[in-house]
Amino acid sequence: MEKIDTSFFSKEREADLFVVGESVQRADARGHVTGQTQFYEDVTFPNTLHLKMVRSPHHHALIKNIDVEPAMKVPGVVRVLTHKDVPNNWYTILKLIGVGPDDEPVLPEDRVLFKGEQVCAVLAETEQAALEGARRVVVDYEELPPVFDVEEAMTSKPFKQAGTNYFVYEGHNCRRIRFGDVDKGFAEADHIIEHRYESSPIEHAPTETTGCTAKPEGSGRVTVYSNTQALYFTLDNMALILGVPFNKLRLVGGTVGGGFGGKVDVIVEPIAALGAMLTNRPVKYAYSRAEEMQVSSPRAAERLYIKDGVMKDGRIVARKITLYVDAGAYCRHSTYGTTKAAAHMPGPYSIPNVHVDAYCVYTNRTPSSAMRGFGVTIGDFALESQMDQVARHLGMDPMELRLINAYRDGDTKAHRKTVDGAALVEVIQAAARQTGKELAPRFAAMSSYQREA
Amino acid sequence: MLQTVATPGSLPETHAMLAKLGSACLIAGGTAVMPTLNGGTDEFTSLVSLRAAGLSGVSIKDGSALIGAATTLSDLADVPALGFLVPALETIASPTIRNMATVGGNLFVKQPYGDLAACLIALGATATVSDGTNTRIDPVEKLVASRLGAGEIVTQVSFALPAEGSFKFTKAGRKAMNAAAIVTVAAVVTATDGTVTQCRIGLGGVAECAVRARSVEEALTGKAFDRVHVTEAAQQAERDIEPFDDSYASAWYRARVTPVHIRRALIGE
Amino acid sequence: MKHSVVALTINGAERQMLVAPGTTLLDALRESQGLTGTRRGCDQGACGACTVIVDGKTMMACLLPVETIDGATIDTIESLTPMDGLHPIQEAFLEGFATQCGFCTSGMIMATAGLLAKNPDPSREDAVRAISGNICRCTGYEAIIDAVLDAAARMRAAKRDKAA
Repeated sequence: MEKIDTSFFSKEREADLFVVGESVQRADARGHVTGQTQFYEDVTFPNTLHLKMVRSPHHHALIKNIDVEPAMKVPGVVRVLTHKDVPNNWYTILKLIGVGPDDEPVLPEDRVLFKGEQVCAVLAETEQAALEGARRVVVDYEELPPVFDVEEAMTSKPFKQAGTNYFVYEGHNCRRIRFGDVDKGFAEADHIIEHRYESSPIEHAPTETTGCTAKPEGSGRVTVYSNTQALYFTLDNMALILGVPFNKLRLVGGTVGGGFGGKVDVIVEPIAALGAMLTNRPVKYAYSRAEEMQVSSPRAAERLYIKDGVMKDGRIVARKITLYVDAGAYCRHSTYGTTKAAAHMPGPYSIPNVHVDAYCVYTNRTPSSAMRGFGVTIGDFALESQMDQVARHLGMDPMELRLINAYRDGDTKAHRKTVDGAALVEVIQAAARQTGKELAPRFAAMSSYQREA
Repeated sequence: MLQTVATPGSLPETHAMLAKLGSACLIAGGTAVMPTLNGGTDEFTSLVSLRAAGLSGVSIKDGSALIGAATTLSDLADVPALGFLVPALETIASPTIRNMATVGGNLFVKQPYGDLAACLIALGATATVSDGTNTRIDPVEKLVASRLGAGEIVTQVSFALPAEGSFKFTKAGRKAMNAAAIVTVAAVVTATDGTVTQCRIGLGGVAECAVRARSVEEALTGKAFDRVHVTEAAQQAERDIEPFDDSYASAWYRARVTPVHIRRALIGE
Repeated sequence: MKHSVVALTINGAERQMLVAPGTTLLDALRESQGLTGTRRGCDQGACGACTVIVDGKTMMACLLPVETIDGATIDTIESLTPMDGLHPIQEAFLEGFATQCGFCTSGMIMATAGLLAKNPDPSREDAVRAISGNICRCTGYEAIIDAVLDAAARMRAAKRDKAA
């Protein structure tokens, strides 16, 4: 492994790092190679009930009726849970940090908003009985037209129980950033370069599917063995949904068979815990592989329009970005991801005039959520592709174009934060060195700490 | 919900079980049936396993291969006389799956799986089908299209060993190993003095079941075995295929590249 | 629905268990026997996390109805760990950083064991092929392939030492 060059950060950190850059054995590796690592599913209890979901076959439909009687006739089926059983059915995961309104039902009441949405939960003595029970529930739907495109959704009739097809940020239909005057910048520019960038949803596909087992304790508490990546988030949301004090719940977990951000939504735990409370038996709710692929939240699809005003010498003097994040049917973490995307614009470049409209849009697709750098990753794909497009348009070297526009310590970013600890210049210089590319002296002498005179 | 799993010890017992158990499904290697069962199904309520029915094993006699239907793909690859099939077998799933999947089962898996069926079609193989009282022998290309009737079991597949070097195979997938077919091409071509005298071509991944590319065969027979004539004949494949869209490739793409892969299979370029 | 008694030799010990129709070897190992080192990733033979050795051959435990393999001999990840230390395959995976979340590791190691029993001196392509039915989503395959080859080298060296 290459040694970390600590000289860049000599001002801000202790330079005597002795673990970073070294190979250190994982503490859990012995458990992994012997098969002794304990994942949530390895903890089992006698008398456990298995929970299987009835799921919507439609992208968008009204629920006219749910008939659970045929399911109750299947040998081994013990109970079917519907929204009527959920103490506080409406929630949104980020309400813990003040985000609202509650836009997602634990179990839907009168409509389903995406294909695969959970409708009601069948609890049975065996997995096969629960599966058969779920096949026997009869749901009458009235199909409604779905909307799959973010820009179409912005102007379509609102399809959620309340509100708009987009998240409302402090009274605005998008998260906005206004810095300088882009119109003035475009007017002064030698070139206008505009492109559209788009991504599709990306599924994390962890090898271990999302799941948990909830076990009622003699003390009146419920212990939930889970593979969530967000134990306390889950505990607090569960307490709010179930209407119990936080200290009536205990979460056991931390060992995750692949997460990548895909296991931060609070979906399986509240229903399993509710089942455990209502039957006084352990309840296991584990996604099948098909469920993991279809209904666990993917990384959001995004669409970006980037318009740049550029001078002949490579200076970008104005950048206007319109960004759509496809949240899918419910908000989950996408409102936060969209804010993060907006704050990240216009990338690690100091551009005097910036205009960003970042929309968090609802469609009838699987709700999206966290995944490795969400809100930033697709934006960076678009921004850096745009930088290459600009370089090509001007016939400039793409590294030099980036150095000309690179942000430095002390600059003010478009969202009014002062840049500190910038390293873009040094990273590009190091990349040039390692790829055997010679930078012109003025670029080789640049520094993130101060602008050259 | 599944009520019974039977593991009969002979073919007659297997027929008896199929007759006795209601809504029964035959299971050999289990690689196709078990995912259905594990996900919950109303398609069947009992399984009749061929694992102990004595239908596995390969014998080579008088230039022909006789292959028990429950022979696994791994065991097939271990038979020295069938070495020519190894490159084709190694494109099917993974070694672990090949230790389970059987020759008979491979005939009936959903496309774009079942590459061995394309090979067997190219080899002119026949399958022996037993209904408990009678047996019939069908060409593989007929059986994969008609599928089995109620109570029927494939017991054996057989074919004449091809002349050395005459068996050709190529498979296009999304990754190098353990990939489903975009197109699978298997062929046995005999050329005398540079002219094609006989050829049989099986295609996988481009129709509801593995198919024989008769139009290509007809167009090529009697022609010079060279790039020009193979390329021209391969264009006829569109008459033989009915490609579909799936997550690996579109129908359009499959149709577009089938002639290319036929050419690559036949002349290696 | 009638349960049946199935007898298996698991990791050297004879075991009998009462199973519901269609119980997979995976469920039998994990739930009847408490051998949870064999993981469940897909229940459809696609991920390889449940790879075990059945009568000497690697198989996916989720695809085997246990009633159809009555009398079989099963080896799982738990059989590999010696009383003292680790098996050379385990050492190679541990020291080669071939694990991250660890969920695929049991299956990867059993697929490796299956390969090395047949082929003690595999090429890199043999190693890739042997684990081609096993999906890893975090470690990256390079470290795992290196570990397979390192394990083979360790086992060959141990055999030489024993012979000498």
